[in-house]
Amino acid sequence: MLISLLKNPAFILGMGLFIGTLALAIFPPLFMNLDTINRVGPPFQPPSSQFFLGTDQMGLDMFAILVAGLKSSLYAGFLAGIIATTLGTLIGVYGGYKGGLVDDLLTSATNIFLVIPNLIVLILLSASIKDGRSLTLISVIIGCTTWTWTARAVRAQSASLRSRDHVNLARINGFGTFTIVMKHILPYLLSYVFMVFILQTASGILAEASISMLGLGPYDTVSLGKILYESKKSEALIDGAWWAFVPAMVLITVMVFALYVINTSMESVFNPRLRK
Amino acid sequence: MLHRYPRLHHGLNRLGWYFLTFVVAITINFFLPRMGPSSPVDILMSKASSTMDSAAARNKEETYLKEFGLAKLADDGSILRDQEGKPLKASLLSQFFNYLLMSARGDLGSSIIQHPKKVSEIIATAIPWTLALQVPTVMIGWIVGNLLGALAAYKRGVFDRVFYPLSLLISAIPPFCFGIILIYIFGITLRWFPAMGGYDDGLMPTLSWNFVVSASYYYFLPFMSIFLIVLGGQAIGMRSMCIYELGTDYVKYAKQLGIKESKILMYMFRNAMLPQLTGLALALGTMVGGALLTEMIFSYPGIGMAMLTAIQSSDYPVIQGCTLLITVCVLVANFSVDILIGFLDPRIKVQQTSGKGA
Amino acid sequence: MTEPILRVNNLSLYYLTRFNEKVKAVDGVSFDLNQGQILGIAGESGCGKSTLVNGCMGLTIPPLFHGEGEVAIDGENLVGMTIEENRFKILGRKICMIPQGALNSLNPTRRIKDLAMDMMVSHGENADKKEIAERLRERFFKIGLQADKVLEAFPVELPAGTKQRVVIGISTLLNPRVVIADEPTSALDVSTQKAVIKLLFDLMEAEIIGSMIFITHELPLLRHVASHIAIMYAGQFVEVGTTQQVVFESCHPYTKALMGAMLSAEVGQRHRKPVYLEGAPPNLKNEIQGCRFAERCPSARPNCKSIFPPLRPVAGRQVRCAYA
Repeated sequence: MLISLLKNPAFILGMGLFIGTLALAIFPPLFMNLDTINRVGPPFQPPSSQFFLGTDQMGLDMFAILVAGLKSSLYAGFLAGIIATTLGTLIGVYGGYKGGLVDDLLTSATNIFLVIPNLIVLILLSASIKDGRSLTLISVIIGCTTWTWTARAVRAQSASLRSRDHVNLARINGFGTFTIVMKHILPYLLSYVFMVFILQTASGILAEASISMLGLGPYDTVSLGKILYESKKSEALIDGAWWAFVPAMVLITVMVFALYVINTSMESVFNPRLRK
Repeated sequence: MLHRYPRLHHGLNRLGWYFLTFVVAITINFFLPRMGPSSPVDILMSKASSTMDSAAARNKEETYLKEFGLAKLADDGSILRDQEGKPLKASLLSQFFNYLLMSARGDLGSSIIQHPKKVSEIIATAIPWTLALQVPTVMIGWIVGNLLGALAAYKRGVFDRVFYPLSLLISAIPPFCFGIILIYIFGITLRWFPAMGGYDDGLMPTLSWNFVVSASYYYFLPFMSIFLIVLGGQAIGMRSMCIYELGTDYVKYAKQLGIKESKILMYMFRNAMLPQLTGLALALGTMVGGALLTEMIFSYPGIGMAMLTAIQSSDYPVIQGCTLLITVCVLVANFSVDILIGFLDPRIKVQQTSGKGA
Repeated sequence: MTEPILRVNNLSLYYLTRFNEKVKAVDGVSFDLNQGQILGIAGESGCGKSTLVNGCMGLTIPPLFHGEGEVAIDGENLVGMTIEENRFKILGRKICMIPQGALNSLNPTRRIKDLAMDMMVSHGENADKKEIAERLRERFFKIGLQADKVLEAFPVELPAGTKQRVVIGISTLLNPRVVIADEPTSALDVSTQKAVIKLLFDLMEAEIIGSMIFITHELPLLRHVASHIAIMYAGQFVEVGTTQQVVFESCHPYTKALMGAMLSAEVGQRHRKPVYLEGAPPNLKNEIQGCRFAERCPSARPNCKSIFPPLRPVAGRQVRCAYA
């Protein structure tokens, strides 16, 4: 499996891009003096040899801000992805395995929250938390509002496993629900759950950017979405200061694209019929 | 008696579910903003108090408290106060019922910032813009995306190898970034289209020729931006659905029967499209969210812009009004698709009539 | 002697894999099918039965390619026909298929009548709609279906046995000369199986269909149904003869092994131990020198692996074994 994955050019491309962005978030601060607090020059300086990406509306070093923002966005994406995947998988697997009333209730709840646009919930929640809207809190909120379709997808998979022989055998042997779910159902869904996690991370990154774009971003740090928001607010767009927003957009797009490509390539390698 | 009309039974069943969803949505819509510490009356009072003496302020506060349904009322309609003269707060639950009652009457309260403007007024001026922008865009994007996706699945080869990664890339670009790119290229650099707004500044929104021309000119960029996003996402889904359909037994059999290629393609297209329709319903929430952000980028005078202004000034009644409206629209659209698909797809019809469609 | 309905002469078909390797799935197969004959083709899964069927229909669609040999129906050679010509003149009109797993073979979102109509219109039956509809009704009635109800229905609304009948009905609408039934009964329960077989026989008796090819791995079924049997192994026929010859007087070691592996419900069978063949058929990607069955053959001799045996007549039938 792993070998055929490594032979897949799409997977290599996706992985390469994603590791590239990760490296950009991790390594520059180790080797360079990146100052995100003090002005280094006049506002909206175009890229120069001194500042790769010019300066922003306050005169801060754009590259330094970008690296910090990338780090926050990745953090938000991963945290939201982990929370959404965990919640969704637990709810989905449990409901799918248990069946009956529990399943009906969980499915109904999932369907209800699936229909309510989660950006709306996100906006309402973030708007109500006026103070202390930290990056972590925002990521948690994102995770708690996007688990629904994971739950739905995982439930379907789990329900199809319920009647498999090895699960029946475990049940006849008197194992408890927890053991069966952990030992006999989850392992079979692992590759699927991992793919879901990748997509959830991508949507976490997008959601953070969207919410920051609305001016509901974190107060305690910069993020790629916040960079875009600031550039929009300071009318960098009208001034033609492309360096204030293009790099952030490119980074978001590259990250999400890389994750999508990883997901599709994995899908084609692991049991392509699973999706039906 | 109802089980004699399985369709109707199913329809009512779905209606029940959507109503329940609506109740959950409106509850969330009410309670979430109230988790925050500030009350609209405080905000209004802090704006007004500096210029008023205490009696006038007290009067003003009473009107606000009544207006926002925050105070406990005596039978005669006056506000109950404690020993210190502070108004007694209405319980959250009674506030909630009050809110439900008002919403049912179409009264979404008043804006804090543009007080005493009604939220419903603000929404009424914004909604035609949003509807005119989003409904046709999403529909056309959906249709074109599906056609292209099906074509990619059928042709494969070079077309597919270029088209598929391209759609994947498009769908990875955050919706609002698309708007920014389009504005930067066509609005700022090339100056082909206006970058911001919905119509020329000097015009009044009436049905005059000048206005319509100006509005269509401003329409183009936001349209393209939403259209391309919807197209990309739908094409990817349709492509994989069609590839699946092409491998099914019924396609093989139709080929063996010597049925015309064009007919078989029609079968495949139709059968792949039905799940896509459900997919559209599910994706509608996300799509509308993205489209709202696009409106904001373009400063398009629709709901998205109204909401952005409200968020930036913490104008809760307006935020709430907009979110409620969007939720209701998404629910209605979902419900319609749900019913529509029951008529279009015999497989689902059988599920419904055998009572498993809950 | 009259011309056979279907003549397959030295037909070879191969698949091209993704890595551009040729896999010869059918290798030098020849047979004639005459009016009224029912040819059964049996063999393990993966021996090339279904590929052969596609070849007989002229459906060589990439990655399947035609290697050499001819296929002729009523004297008309299918090899070299354009796809469109083949579709219009041959498929459904001269030769038709009753597919494996008929349950999923009907387009789920099309009414039976519309599917049948599509099939007729696709073959240029452009008479007015009413007339076609009348013909449909008649035919469906003839094969024992409640024509009015069934024609209006969607596939999901019909039970499995009815669906199988509908498939047979639609396949034989244009009175094809050859019907190929690919495991037509394997998904059905026993009583429905019988009804389906009887229906096929009735259709032959009524001369709606001229002859049949029955593809199956259920040998007991073939014994009752087929007039001739061909046993296929690794893309080649290894024994071809009448049912009597192949089943009861089998010559080729593979046929014998298959018969031994067959479990039957007849008396006195209990003491006969079921035999099973060890090993797997050879990988067709590799060039094989000698007899393809040599690796698994219980009575193989040393030079079997080096000398390729041609089909040769033995006791009135064709056998591909040097020592039978």
